[in-house]
Amino acid sequence: MKRGYDPKPALGGAGEEGTCEMGHGRQKRPLFPAYPKGRPGRLQRHLLSGEFDQLRDFPIFESNFVQVTRFGEVANKVTMGVAASSPALELPDLLLLAGPAKENGRLQLLGLFPLQFVQLFVHDECRRQLKVKFRTGRAFYLQLRAPPETRDREFGQWVRLLYRLHFHSAEGAVPFTQEYALEDDGEEEDDDDDDDDEESRMEVRLDPQASELWGL
Amino acid sequence: MTYAYLFKYIIIGDTGVGKSCLLLQFTDKRFQPVHDLTIGVEFGARMVNIDGKQIKLQIWDTAGQESFRSITRSYYRGAAGALLVYDITRRETFNHLTSWLEDARQHSSSNMVIMLIGNKSDLESRRDVKREEGEAFAREHGLIFMETSAKTACNVEEAFINTAKEIYRKIQQGLFDVHNEANGIKIGPQQSISTSLGPSASQQNCRDLGSDAGCC
Repeated sequence: MKRGYDPKPALGGAGEEGTCEMGHGRQKRPLFPAYPKGRPGRLQRHLLSGEFDQLRDFPIFESNFVQVTRFGEVANKVTMGVAASSPALELPDLLLLAGPAKENGRLQLLGLFPLQFVQLFVHDECRRQLKVKFRTGRAFYLQLRAPPETRDREFGQWVRLLYRLHFHSAEGAVPFTQEYALEDDGEEEDDDDDDDDEESRMEVRLDPQASELWGL
Repeated sequence: MTYAYLFKYIIIGDTGVGKSCLLLQFTDKRFQPVHDLTIGVEFGARMVNIDGKQIKLQIWDTAGQESFRSITRSYYRGAAGALLVYDITRRETFNHLTSWLEDARQHSSSNMVIMLIGNKSDLESRRDVKREEGEAFAREHGLIFMETSAKTACNVEEAFINTAKEIYRKIQQGLFDVHNEANGIKIGPQQSISTSLGPSASQQNCRDLGSDAGCC
């Protein structure tokens, strides 16, 4: 049976190179390696475990995060990945979200979302936080959880991914960008009280035990 | 937790009929009156006991909105059961059943068990589709039928479990090849056919159970 993981860069073109200015300056390396840590991540292993035949062969780029509030308070653990539903695709077309199951803490897949309906932003580069916003307006914030020695590199990969997705996005909508490029100026300013109510209303928790988002 | 079988379900139907609420009620035993639009797929899982066998239901809750329709179709593949949901207070959701059914038949295994659900049975005063109409549609198309209320939990357990019973009955009858992944059935870890399907298993007729059971 064909297995889904491949140590080679799986998305964005094998051998393609890009640059990253995060952390330790510009470095050349594959633009979109399948695994930030060089081996299948938890989400990929979960999908390979056999319960999700349909998703098993997807190349996935994933990282572990903690969900934080807009102001940085830690909520719960989330694993987020992007995947390509076909090896023929140049870029990923799906977003996968997973979290610990309430009964045993094991990773469980929470949702699968076409990337065309999701916007990804860099929310706070210093804190390595991303913002995930659905077309419906719901949003949440994720802070990268990775060892100190690989943290900058891994976040840099996400940043480059967002840019690549942005530049490959369909005409019209601009689904992937730095947030300030799409949103009104100051939307993410923490002291901007005018935006707080709207942001708070639309911000959701990814807690699978009390999820407003996943309906679980 | 070990299980004898895993059944993949999909929940389909027009937007706003209560698909996500049915899933939430089944997995978490709670009702959420306001639920955001589903985009892509949200997942739920629960163990049920059918004829003394532990069966894991892996439930794919799909987006009902027309703009997501083409994407939803790609998730039908490999489903053993489908819950096709309409809202008894909105005639148009009943009128669209034929279209949903065509999609389901076209993109899934011919053996897939389909449970037709008339949801929101608690809103009797606003009823727009007679129970008899649902029954007739189900009879005409070879579906199981139940009316449910995700709000009061009426018949929700029964809808999911009776679908599983019908799938299990088809396995016993040899109609489902459990080794064919396209059928949406997986044998659980460390299970074999001889242990997971005992010869003494009864052959209940779920259609009878389904249409007559419950509180609605």
